[in-house]
Amino acid sequence: MRLSVEGVGHAYGGTTVLDGIDLAIAPGEIVAVVGPSGCGKSTLLRLIGGLERPTVGGVFIEGDAPAGSLNPITTVFQDFALLPWRTAAGNVALALEDHRLTRAERDEIVADVLARTKLTDFAGAWPRQLSGGMKQRVAIARALAVRPAVMLMDEPLSALDAQTRELLLDDLRDLWVRERFSAVYVTHNLAEAVQLGHRVMVLSRRPGRIREVVEIDVPLPDRPARAAELEPMQRQLWQMMRDEAMAADRELTDAA
Amino acid sequence: MLAMLRGAVLALVLIALSPLPALAADDIKVGILRLTSHSPSIIAKAKGYFADEGLNVEFVPFQAAQAMAVGIASRDIDFGMTAISGGLVNLADKGAIKVIGGALMETDDAQGQKILASKAAYDAGLTTPAALAGKRYGVTTAGSSFHYMAHKIADGEGVDRSDVRMVPLQKVPAIIASLKSGQIDAWSIVPNIGNALARGDSVVAIGDVSDYIPNYQVTAVFTSTANVEDNPDLVKRFLAALSKGIDDYNAALVDKTMSEEDTRAIVEMIHEYVYADTPIDKADPRIRAFGMRINPGAALNVESVEDQLNWFKSEGLVPDSVTMDDLVDTSFVDQPS
Amino acid sequence: MPPDMAPDAAVEARTPPAAAEAKGRRPVPFRGGTFRPRAIPFAAPLVFLVLIGLWELGSRSGLISPIALPAPSEAIAAMGDLIETGMLWRHLEASLSRLVMGWTIGTVAGIVLGLAIGLFSLARAGLSPVVSALFPIPKIALLPLFIIWFGIGEGSKVATIVFGTFFPTVIATYGGVDSVDRTLIRMGQSFALSPLSIVRKIILPGALPAILSGARISASIAIILLVAAEMIGAEYGIGAYILLAGSLFALDQLIAGVAMLSIIGLTVAWLIGRAERALLDWRT
Repeated sequence: MRLSVEGVGHAYGGTTVLDGIDLAIAPGEIVAVVGPSGCGKSTLLRLIGGLERPTVGGVFIEGDAPAGSLNPITTVFQDFALLPWRTAAGNVALALEDHRLTRAERDEIVADVLARTKLTDFAGAWPRQLSGGMKQRVAIARALAVRPAVMLMDEPLSALDAQTRELLLDDLRDLWVRERFSAVYVTHNLAEAVQLGHRVMVLSRRPGRIREVVEIDVPLPDRPARAAELEPMQRQLWQMMRDEAMAADRELTDAA
Repeated sequence: MLAMLRGAVLALVLIALSPLPALAADDIKVGILRLTSHSPSIIAKAKGYFADEGLNVEFVPFQAAQAMAVGIASRDIDFGMTAISGGLVNLADKGAIKVIGGALMETDDAQGQKILASKAAYDAGLTTPAALAGKRYGVTTAGSSFHYMAHKIADGEGVDRSDVRMVPLQKVPAIIASLKSGQIDAWSIVPNIGNALARGDSVVAIGDVSDYIPNYQVTAVFTSTANVEDNPDLVKRFLAALSKGIDDYNAALVDKTMSEEDTRAIVEMIHEYVYADTPIDKADPRIRAFGMRINPGAALNVESVEDQLNWFKSEGLVPDSVTMDDLVDTSFVDQPS
Repeated sequence: MPPDMAPDAAVEARTPPAAAEAKGRRPVPFRGGTFRPRAIPFAAPLVFLVLIGLWELGSRSGLISPIALPAPSEAIAAMGDLIETGMLWRHLEASLSRLVMGWTIGTVAGIVLGLAIGLFSLARAGLSPVVSALFPIPKIALLPLFIIWFGIGEGSKVATIVFGTFFPTVIATYGGVDSVDRTLIRMGQSFALSPLSIVRKIILPGALPAILSGARISASIAIILLVAAEMIGAEYGIGAYILLAGSLFALDQLIAGVAMLSIIGLTVAWLIGRAERALLDWRT
């Protein structure tokens, strides 16, 4: 299944937040989206996820979702969006409950994704008992449970501390190696972008326009070992973003 | 507590001053309800009868008779006039208040309380109090005068008391609403309200209370036990002034022997306190409609009071140990002639 | 420096660190001892007992006039009479059935309307001002109307309690719905949950803490309104018992009745506490 964003622009009231965004996501591809705060990154993700309708242009899917996909386009939220009144397993199960599955099938999927995200021992834990990293693992497990064709990840690691972030980044990479999911990965952290993205799309400050799309042709599994090669790319991205970020910093964020 | 202390000090001062009468007017507080039945006090004040007795009266209006009895017990007021209720008897039992005279009484020569039926109940056969068995009878609370009347009416008709179902509704307006909407079947009330209701379509008068409780002492004058014991002179002067007010009231509004001009003056005095929120022209006929006799000289029908006391005891509403002596001091007034 | 500062404290405050060192090694002064709540389980019953004991002493010694307040022993005796005659159970049965019925209807209806206001813009725009307008009306003032509308039977009594509990529940519920994390709802949408599932699995549980604290308040209101409800044509019931005691000036019975209301209140608070612990065990 291919996902394409075609000429998308969006405005809240009179304020244009996104303008002329074109993007195609091939199966198994991770596109990282970076940009200064307030550039409309999260809005773009909500438009792709169908949670909002773009003012101009459209988001299209092409071809069939992979067999067994329950929710082809699935979001992973920055602040995890776990229901505090459900256990880890319960939160994962939530995503499955509105689908025609027998109880046994559902339990099997839940057990499977929890195992894949190394959460089996925490199946019965309440969200409040889990660390930030664990919570985000639960959220990722929940996303995996519906076998998405495209995962929309909205700064999934930015609510975590630096060490947890590194660990989870490794996990995500391993996961991709196994699952080959495609994803739009929104982040303001350039290190994450170059670690995970096949392509990095740089947005300008508001209204968000595509400034640059950088291909990173180091295979994902090799990236930890070839960090030195990634370093200049990250610096190049930062040069691009620096001025935008400074200008954005001085703006009032009333359209976030 | 403070009020009691104040009362005690006042009493001591009065005793100390008693050899020198009329040195200064005594300040007293009289509880009134904004009802025509409280006219004598109003007249006595307006016409200066209290002042003649060296009494400087301040009226304290109450919403309910119950609160007035409590007010006397707490010495916040000195004199009051209400129906003899269970609460009043219990306060007398605690040694706080005493009945010292009579006021409203059912007599043959004036109109009295009416027995009413809702239209629905009337159509269903409640055309006479004899048909009260199984019917719902409106009362304010158990132990109220309405409750007493209902039982006496039942007794008079040979209906078992327990066959008349008492419905406590706390307030007269609630009883009226219930009667009009047919949610209770019967009630008894003072003639002005009773006749006004019976003039409408939803209520029918089916009898007179006086047929069942002749010479029923409906309301009584009472004061604190402390006043009776420590200051009988004050009580006597109050009753003397009140009696003049009663005479004016009976002449103007019951026997109608007073000239129209004087009657109008009396009505205007009453209007200061009763139906004060309606214009005098509207209030005038309402005040005149009451027409129940108040015993001249505040005479007290002790027999009727005793019957009521016995009824309270039989209903378990007051302790069996209460005696007439606890409740009444008969030394101030006569029996009605 | 404030002029009323103790002289030695002032000296100490001005003393340079070197001079303080000269005074020798000593522990840092402990300042964390105040404002520390801790559970003292026997305090409440003890305070109750002491207060009642003092009250009894005051009554026996004549310091408290029997007209002002009956001795607690008299109130206990009145309670004993109630138990002995079996009337206690009749009163309790009548009152509890009114409380349970009124509170249940009021709460369920309140939650439904509260959800509607919380979820639908039209309901919010149209109904929330109506709720705000009707909430502060004292239900006692409406008693005569209730008599006409609901009769003097159980209808008007239950209705009084229903009206009293309905509005606070509506307000608590839609406040609770408003406070549900938007991200959670968006999450539900992104997983393509049906609107019904979102309400049932996300919004309702999210609003539950607010609904339960609303229930605490509405249950107290229901108990307060019991006396008002039983003003109308009630032969039995704790409210009717209190009203009768008041009109008879039977203060021992009055206190006994009021104590019963307190006991009901304590029981209800305890039950809701249990419900909170059972339903909100995910919180802490």
